[in-house]
Amino acid sequence: MNSVELTVNTRAVKRDVEPRTSLADLMRDTLDLTGTHLGCEHGVCGACTILVDGVPTRSCITYAVACDGADVTTIEGLDDDEIATELRAAFTREHALQCGYCTPGMLVSARDLVKRLPDADEKQIRIGMSGNLCRCTGYVGIVRAVQSVITERRARDIAPEPDGGRKVLGPAGSGHKACVSSQKLMPAQPAVSEPAAAVAPLDIPDFTPSTTLEQKFTVAHAPAKVFALFDDIAAVASCLPGATLVGTPRPERVEGAIRVKIGPISANFNGAARVERDEANLSGRILGIGSDQRSRSTTQGEIRYRLVPQDDGAATRVELSIGYSLTGMLAQVGRSGLVRDLAGRLVAEFAGNLDRRLSGDVTSAPSAAADLNGVSLILGLLRERATNVVRRLTGRGGSA
Amino acid sequence: MKPAPFAYERPRDVASALAAMAGDGVVKVMAGGQSLGPMLNLRLVAPDTIVDITGLAELKHVEVAGEELVIGACVTHADIEDGRIPDVTRGAMQRVASAIAYRAVRNRGTIGGSLSHADPSADWVSTFAALCATLSLRSAKGARLVAMKDFMLGALESVLQPGEMLEAVRVPVMSPSARWGYVKSCRKTGEFAHAIGAVLIDPEAGRARVVIGAVEAAPIIVDNAEELFGGRITNDFKSRFDARVADTLLSKAGMSDAADRHIHVTILRRAVAEAAA
Amino acid sequence: MRNERDISPAAPASKQGVGARVPRKEDDRLMRGRGQFVGDIRLAGLQDVAFVRSPLAHARIRAIHIPERYRDVVFTSADLVGIKPIRAITGLAGFKPSDQPILATDKIRQVGELVAMCVAPTRAEAEDIAASVTLDLEELPAVYDMLKAREPGSPLVHEHWGDNVFLESFFELDITQALDAPIKVTREISTARQCMSPLEGRGVIATFDHRLDQLTLYTGSQMPHIVRNGLSDCLEMDQGQIRIVSPDVGGGFGHKGILLPEEVCLSWLTMKRGFPVRWIEDRREHLVASSNCREHHYKITVYADRDGTLRGIDCEATVDSGAYSSYPFSACLEAAQVVSILPGPYQMPAYRCRTYSVATNKCPILPYRGVARTGVCFALELMLDLVAAEAGLEPGNVRLRNLVRPEQMPFDNITKKHFDSGDYPEALRRAVAQIDIDGIRARQRKGEDDGRLIGVGLSIYCEQAAHGTSVYSGWGIPMVPGHEQATARLTPDGGLELKVGVHSHGQGLETTLSQVAFEMLGVDVAKIRVVHGDTAMTPYSTGTWGSRCMVMAGGAVATACHELGERAKKIGAKLLQVDEANVVLVDGEIRGPNGSVTLKEIAHTWYRRPQDLPGDVDPGGLEATSGYKPQRDSGTFSYAAHAVTVAVDPDLGDVEILDYVIVEDGGVLVNPMIVDGQIYGGLAQGIGTALYEEMPFDRAGQPLNTTLADYLLPGPTEVPMPWLDHMETPSPYTKFGVKGIGEGGAIAPPAAIGNAVNDALRGLGVEMLQSPITPRRVLEGILAARDAKRTAA
Repeated sequence: MNSVELTVNTRAVKRDVEPRTSLADLMRDTLDLTGTHLGCEHGVCGACTILVDGVPTRSCITYAVACDGADVTTIEGLDDDEIATELRAAFTREHALQCGYCTPGMLVSARDLVKRLPDADEKQIRIGMSGNLCRCTGYVGIVRAVQSVITERRARDIAPEPDGGRKVLGPAGSGHKACVSSQKLMPAQPAVSEPAAAVAPLDIPDFTPSTTLEQKFTVAHAPAKVFALFDDIAAVASCLPGATLVGTPRPERVEGAIRVKIGPISANFNGAARVERDEANLSGRILGIGSDQRSRSTTQGEIRYRLVPQDDGAATRVELSIGYSLTGMLAQVGRSGLVRDLAGRLVAEFAGNLDRRLSGDVTSAPSAAADLNGVSLILGLLRERATNVVRRLTGRGGSA
Repeated sequence: MKPAPFAYERPRDVASALAAMAGDGVVKVMAGGQSLGPMLNLRLVAPDTIVDITGLAELKHVEVAGEELVIGACVTHADIEDGRIPDVTRGAMQRVASAIAYRAVRNRGTIGGSLSHADPSADWVSTFAALCATLSLRSAKGARLVAMKDFMLGALESVLQPGEMLEAVRVPVMSPSARWGYVKSCRKTGEFAHAIGAVLIDPEAGRARVVIGAVEAAPIIVDNAEELFGGRITNDFKSRFDARVADTLLSKAGMSDAADRHIHVTILRRAVAEAAA
Repeated sequence: MRNERDISPAAPASKQGVGARVPRKEDDRLMRGRGQFVGDIRLAGLQDVAFVRSPLAHARIRAIHIPERYRDVVFTSADLVGIKPIRAITGLAGFKPSDQPILATDKIRQVGELVAMCVAPTRAEAEDIAASVTLDLEELPAVYDMLKAREPGSPLVHEHWGDNVFLESFFELDITQALDAPIKVTREISTARQCMSPLEGRGVIATFDHRLDQLTLYTGSQMPHIVRNGLSDCLEMDQGQIRIVSPDVGGGFGHKGILLPEEVCLSWLTMKRGFPVRWIEDRREHLVASSNCREHHYKITVYADRDGTLRGIDCEATVDSGAYSSYPFSACLEAAQVVSILPGPYQMPAYRCRTYSVATNKCPILPYRGVARTGVCFALELMLDLVAAEAGLEPGNVRLRNLVRPEQMPFDNITKKHFDSGDYPEALRRAVAQIDIDGIRARQRKGEDDGRLIGVGLSIYCEQAAHGTSVYSGWGIPMVPGHEQATARLTPDGGLELKVGVHSHGQGLETTLSQVAFEMLGVDVAKIRVVHGDTAMTPYSTGTWGSRCMVMAGGAVATACHELGERAKKIGAKLLQVDEANVVLVDGEIRGPNGSVTLKEIAHTWYRRPQDLPGDVDPGGLEATSGYKPQRDSGTFSYAAHAVTVAVDPDLGDVEILDYVIVEDGGVLVNPMIVDGQIYGGLAQGIGTALYEEMPFDRAGQPLNTTLADYLLPGPTEVPMPWLDHMETPSPYTKFGVKGIGEGGAIAPPAAIGNAVNDALRGLGVEMLQSPITPRRVLEGILAARDAKRTAA
């Protein structure tokens, strides 16, 4: 627990909070100021907008500990505020609210806009209010209400404040308690107490890959030698950066994990693979499945290979067909489909590693030890998906 | 939708921040938290410790040093939008800042956080690349300077090493003869960009730097962009802009989808037109 | 035209009664942060629930691993002994019922399906526990595409059905007569799966009172009485043991018109554990797990003469109903409705339509604002423009040729829909004039300086609303509306309490129903309190859906107030010492030949000074409950013509709305300000359907837009300031001549915008037949057309 001191609606408050407690939850759950609403909890809808040090802030993605010492005003603190009073009259007159859920955040943002905008330009008002979603009104009444208050105030010679009254640099809410000593605050309880030891799957099912990529290359070795190498699961795994094997690999079951790190997200897919081979046709496949417990995501992949003798058996053409699917939270954000050229490049890289390995160039292949930023086929897929996760959430220029 | 538990540290200065970053487990540096916050809430990210650097006065320091503006990493988009820091780009940074996400996000989101996150769609990634900015990175081993054009390795990947943080952005004073154009394509106001075109064109000096951003990877930076303008940069650069060259450039960069290329070329052409206006 | 408005208005038209722009009574508390939504309710000992949900769309549960130390705070289906699944059947022949488990038993049929329930003092801790639960699932092939789901050999959502079709519906009249028409246009048209996305998600608090032997469920619901029906069935409890409270609700739009498995879960949990429990739906849960809407596919052929006269429509439509039939509307309402409403406000001699309600491994669909009409309007209106293009006619003229005419009213169309009143051609003519089609055509010929392409689009629809017993008994779903009831009670201080079973969550019923009561009794709107959202305090009602409240609850309030007025007259006559026949109720007082007494005085006497009443006073008192049905319960038909001008950027595919015109006829308007607000809000949602909102799935049935950064809701810059005009043709069947209008705004925009985009792109040979019309789809269409032209050349 961490003690946080704030001025909330002109009242000094001091509360113990977990570091993970958002400013919104502190207001709602601890201080019972329930006028601050949660609409998305990822900083998009604007329902949680409150004033921190006098300027609008997303209270759902701002942690209370990060605002230690700050001045906070919620909708409840705007009862007697002059601009808010004018806005409430205009909102009622223009029918700028229906269900009223977005309204507190809407009023907080509108109040800021009224202060800052020089005149009641409709387009500027719409842009200025674009961080607050309303599902009921179509914004008609809201825009008209804000327009009317700006017009009236400017007519009364009340000058705009383009900076909204903020004079200091840095994130709103920051810098009040520039602490003299570092403080390490432990969470109330350990994160996931029995961590992430996802149960290795009982079986390794067949599946239809959502994406399949082909790759071909020729190596100067006899098919039999190449075929033998494909039977060496550890060798194949060593071409997958971030892959580690546990236990003794057997063709029908090899267990291991692949660690993936993409930006701030890391996932650890624990799973198993099995190997099938068809000696007569010099072909086979490696089929695997792995799960990341924390994101409840599962990936399945298969590597199909076929060896074609070249140069009277002196060389071998390796035909790879690599397919994969992803389910769970990491799959559930982003565009459907995958940028094929990126995946293609990754497959090429994997094939290149195999090629070098088959050619005996073990040193240049990536080691099996986790190279967290490395790439592989499956990693590539995850990278793409996870990139979308992150980008969708944050590609608005926000800060990490 | 609440984060997994994490420990929290608010260090006293940069040195103690660097020490905290070297702590046990997964440590994440947080500035305004406008990118990290959503991912924490969704439990996509579950660090053991958050190091909050917004209390560090050093990182909110801004000064003009010689021909550069040095901006501390914890300066916010709103600080730039509102003109709370000196303007050395003749309003270019101010305009970019004012169109990032939404006001409430800009009041906490920082330039350092945005760059560290290395999101290809983020405005500052392309803007600072086009403005020829340099980044000052600091670790326990000391400070180093990296040109913005070399900072991004890919989507969400930068040259920042474990234990290293972004300290400041150094933006060169824009030459009086330079022309600036910045256009992005978003589905909605404030949402992430699908395409960014940023150009800094100086017809007097005969130089142009062109950045094609939001390409799902590190931005494509053309340092000497004469080939995009028929071989030389002159005052009629707008009419000399050659979309086919841009298209070829994108193809070579691996953008195989024709519609994607069309969008990026269009946005770039509009950025050039804005610079000429 | 006959209009019940003439029958018995007790008060003269004034600025508070029917037709007045009365500011809303609701606003003040909501603007001060003092609304009370489910998440705002505080109960002593309250604990939070988080659910473990399925990450997979289709799977068998092999095992659920719960860490030992959490065994007593995590619950699975094995714990829910005696709890019945949710079952929403229909009476339609051939319907295949589905059982929606409260917590998944052996099989999972959608991403987000509830698997385990975790309870802890805070939501964060409950989520920590949920994160520690491990699911061992055997993935099955997902049924992710409704058209593929209909093919033989598809994986089955419900194995024992033998296929994936909840219900097939069919209508045919004389289609062979149309086949020789000179114009025949065939297309496939589709609308995306959407999420209704009220700003407040669902939320439930359950608590059990041992003294009253009563479960109280606070839930953000449009239909508290229906929730009680369903809960009583699932829990096998007497209805008297269940009280449902729906407090302030942050938007519904259909999303809150469903019995949730979470409601059943929390009810069970509070009774099991003895403390109050709460679950607040987060945005991810809303987008991924809860309920979707709108996913339609049409294969449609329109037959017409060269002059644009419709000869017939032939259609096969499929609706993706998701994994389960949700309660109470069922999985079939939407697709079955398509059959009956596809002809819209048009006359045609021949029609054939077959529809399929298809089960897939996606979350169930719910009737979203406009229900099937938005998809139907999109399909039909796009087709009419294609017919117009084929015939070389202005789209508006093709519509005028076929629209039902005012002199035909009331009119029974080809599917026996009974249009009560209206002048559809006039609405269209006004819209066409206002948008200035001639001016736009001139502008198109000239071209735009910025290179964008201008297009104009029209659409018109009819919105059957407040349809009642005769319609819903035909569907045979778990809920059939009968007489709507209201209670009117004079309080001892002369105030008025109105109790209604419908729920107001943005519609402003606290204001409009007060206006109705003012109209009847003359009690000042400020002195009227509308009580709603509590089964213990309100008469039974099927709730708020189908644009029915103003017609049904408004009618019921008027009827109850009339009854109350009659009772007050009886008492007043005694106090005035005149015969009851000689008094009238005017302006809140009972007037006799020689004097008057106010309702306030009557109330004071009745309650506080009964000694002043004669012994033979009528004992009925000052509280009246009455039921109401319109004279015909086949529904009111409101309608609107929408016209829109767009500019399409051919290099980016962006669509900008330049001008938007709506000419609406919603019958008599009780509060025009509120009606305008409903239309503006509907328009914004319609723009979302047209241009932004989409929940895509991959082939594993994984939903892909799971945050509001992916699932785009229109913001202030995406919605225009529309021009709005009202016609007020009264309904001949309803009190005051009102019609339901709540959904209409969301019906027409996708069609109008689609037509405008297609008009803009016509020169390029590009047609957009799929919503949302995203920049990507537009641009890909343009590039493909260019390539095709290049190849041909």
